[in-house]
Order: sequence, then C-alpha cells, then structure tokens
Amino acid sequence: MTPSGLATRSRSAVWRRQFLLQGCWNYEGMQNVGFAYAILPALRDFYANRPEEALKAVKRHLEFFNTQPAMGALILGASVRLEERVAAGEADPRAIGTFKVGLMGSLGAIGDSFFWGALRPMASVAGALLAMLHPLLGIAALLLLYNGVHLTIRRRGYTAGMEGPEGAVGWLKQAALNVRTDDRKLLAAILAGAYAGIFAGRFFAQGADAPHVLASLLLAAAAVHLFAILFRKAVSPSEILSFLLFVGVLILWR
Amino acid sequence: MAWRFLLATLLGGVCYLDRTAACQLMLHRPLVVATLMGAIFGNMAAGAQVGVILELFYLARLPVGASIPPDDTGAAVFGGSAAAIASSSIGLDAGSFTAVLLLSVVIAEAGKAADRFVRKVNVRIARLTAESVDRGDVQAVEHGLLAGLTLFTVTGMALALVFSGAGVAMAKELLPRFGPASRSSFAILLPALPLLGAASAYSCSRTERTSAVFFLTMAAVFGGTVLFRWAA
Repeated sequence: MTPSGLATRSRSAVWRRQFLLQGCWNYEGMQNVGFAYAILPALRDFYANRPEEALKAVKRHLEFFNTQPAMGALILGASVRLEERVAAGEADPRAIGTFKVGLMGSLGAIGDSFFWGALRPMASVAGALLAMLHPLLGIAALLLLYNGVHLTIRRRGYTAGMEGPEGAVGWLKQAALNVRTDDRKLLAAILAGAYAGIFAGRFFAQGADAPHVLASLLLAAAAVHLFAILFRKAVSPSEILSFLLFVGVLILWR
Repeated sequence: MAWRFLLATLLGGVCYLDRTAACQLMLHRPLVVATLMGAIFGNMAAGAQVGVILELFYLARLPVGASIPPDDTGAAVFGGSAAAIASSSIGLDAGSFTAVLLLSVVIAEAGKAADRFVRKVNVRIARLTAESVDRGDVQAVEHGLLAGLTLFTVTGMALALVFSGAGVAMAKELLPRFGPASRSSFAILLPALPLLGAASAYSCSRTERTSAVFFLTMAAVFGGTVLFRWAA
C-alpha cells in the first residue's frame, strides 16, 4: 500500500537515497545525516507549505541513528509512513523517534548476524572457490549470491515499511531471518571446509604414503582449530599475520 | 604506466565508496579489487590469486557499530598490483606470493587508520549540517551528505593511488633484492595463510552443528584432492 500523500517520484527518490545511508558516517550521530538525507524528499512532500514543520521534521531525523545499512530500508519505509501520519495530525512526532530507537538496535543485531556473519562469508567463500576455476566466475558468484539476497531484502523491507510499523513487524516475522542466518552459516561452513580441504591437499599432502597424508590432514585441521580458538580469544587476524610476518623476517635474517 | 595508475585510482575510488559510504554491493571485496588491480597492471590471474586468499582473512572482523575492520580493500589494491607486476618481472613464485600477502597486513592497518580519520572529519561535517538546519537551511542536509561522500571518495582515490604505488614499488624494487633461495625460504609460511582465511570464515559461521560439518567437508575434499593428485 503506497502512502496516499507521497508522490511516486518522492517514493523512488527515498528508495534511491537509502543506498547513501552511510554517506556521512561519523562517530557522533553515525548514520544520522544519511537518514535525514534519505527521508528528505518525503518530508518535502508532506510539509510542502509548512516550512517550520518541515524543519522540525528534518531535525528529528538528525538525531543519532545506526543500524545495519540493508535493514535501514525497513526503518526508513516505516518512518516515511509515520511522518505521513504526523503530517496529517494523526500521530505524535515523538512516536517516530521512539520507533527508530526501538528498532535500530534489534534490526542492527539481526542484520549484522545475517549479512556480515552468514551471507557475506557464504558468498565470499563461494566466490573464492569458483575464482580458482576462473577469476571472473568467482567475482560473478560473489556478487550475485550476495546482492541477490541483499537487494531483495532491501526492496521487500522498504515496501513492508511503507505499509507502516505494523507491516514492518509483520514482514520481519515472515522473513524469519534467524532461520535464514542458520542456513547460510551452514552453507558457509561447508564451503569453508571445502576451501580448507583444497588448500590443505595442495600444500600439505606432498608424500605418497597414507600415514603421511593422514598426518597432513590432522596438521591442517589443527591449524584451523588453533586459529579459530585465537579468534575466539579476541586475537585479530592482523595480529596473527603480523606474527607470521615477523617469523618471515627472522627466516630471511637467518 | 601513468594511465594504469589513473585507472587504479578511479576504480579504487569506486570500490572504496562501496566499502562504507554507498551501496555496499561488495564491489570492495578483495577478490573483486585484487582481480581488477591485477588486470590493470597486466596480469588478472595473478591479482585473482592474491584476491582468493585475501578475501577470507578479515571475514571474522565484522563492521559492527563503531568498530572498523582492517582495510582489506586497500590490502587487495596493494596485493593485486604487486602480484601482477611481480609476475611480469621476477615471476610470482611462492616466496614472493607469501611476501605480498604478509605485507598487505601493514597496508590494511594503514587503511583502517585513514578510515578512522575520515569518520572523525565527518563528525565536523555532521555538526555543521545540524547547525545550518538549526538556522533554517534544510538543504544543508544534502550539502552535508555530499561533503561526506566527497571526503570518502577523495580519500579512497588517494589510498588506491598510494597503495597501488606501494605494490608496484615493492614488486619492482624490494622483491628482486632477495634471491630465489631467500624467497623460497619465505614460502614456508604460505600454507598457513589459506588456512587462516578458512578459519576466519569458519569462525563467522560457527554454531553447534556447523563445526562437525566444516571438518567433515574439509576431510572429504582433502581426500578427494589427494586422490586426484595421485591419479594424475
């Protein structure tokens, strides 16, 4: 359902502008300027002949805001709908701030877990594996696997948000992102296992006898396990790589 | 060579823009960036080889809240250009490949520092925007965002130029100083690098049921690879 007061042109403008949500990301308001920028065409429509109220509305959206960028589309759509109600005198302006603050944290956590913790690793490993066959095949796999889901969620989230906060909550339940997160994590684990297996087979299994091959596999698995433990203990990949670089310099020195 | 650097700067700027400020379409991922840089500097396959390994290194570092992960885009700009140039001069042997990958960690940290600087400058832009809106200038929001975007773009282009320059300089000046014997001794560290990447992806996807799946798949594919090598 399109908000009755919002012209299609403005709706499209808000949709396009949401891709710049982090255009002025900063440590104080985080995505605040990006959010105000994205919703501005809708505010100009709703408060066409009321500059004072338009100014107040813009200030409302310059408050602190931060969420996972793709999930921002849902909050943006619902905020447009809420602003329409506020402009029509049907809702309290404070409801918008409460709604945004209430949703940005939880949606941020869901989005971070889904996009950064599951979808991106899955697409990355799939891309890396296929790039061994041909670089362009790997790039295509990475971009298609990630953006197929990413852009669909942005579009559906924005459309659901435009139906109002109720529509947004309904869509969130229906989307079942937690189940999708688990599925993507499983796929990412399978692909990452294949990646590790290929490289371990290439580098470690140099001998032809079975005990040597088995020892190579165990050594590679132990290395992966050790790295994973170090990550869990908050040792960063950079620290491990720096250590390896240091070892490399020592080898050269010797 | 100048047109190569120009192209690297322009494409690097676009990829850096995708990293934080615009779209997040994954054009900034190391696999994409290193392959592009490889193509620009004369060997796409060499760039892609670096990209395949770099792609997974920092997956475990999530860009959550105010935390900034290491700049793997910059690492890929450096690695892709260095690999392509090295392959056409001394040859991309295992030692050079390892050196490129390990030195990229320095670049990734430098890029992270630059990213932090941009976000600090953006605080000033956001404050000025809010002050202008307070004075009644609604359009200041658009100007503020444009200023932020410009800063991200210019910084990204500058980083792409500096990092590709560093990659080319390393491949042309630093690597040839070491003989083949020194470089081959450096290659002893190479097997650890893809496994570190795999561990990074595994850490991201780690749940109760995925641990067993990861290691079983690893064993199965390892067995398949070894059998394939024996058969060949």
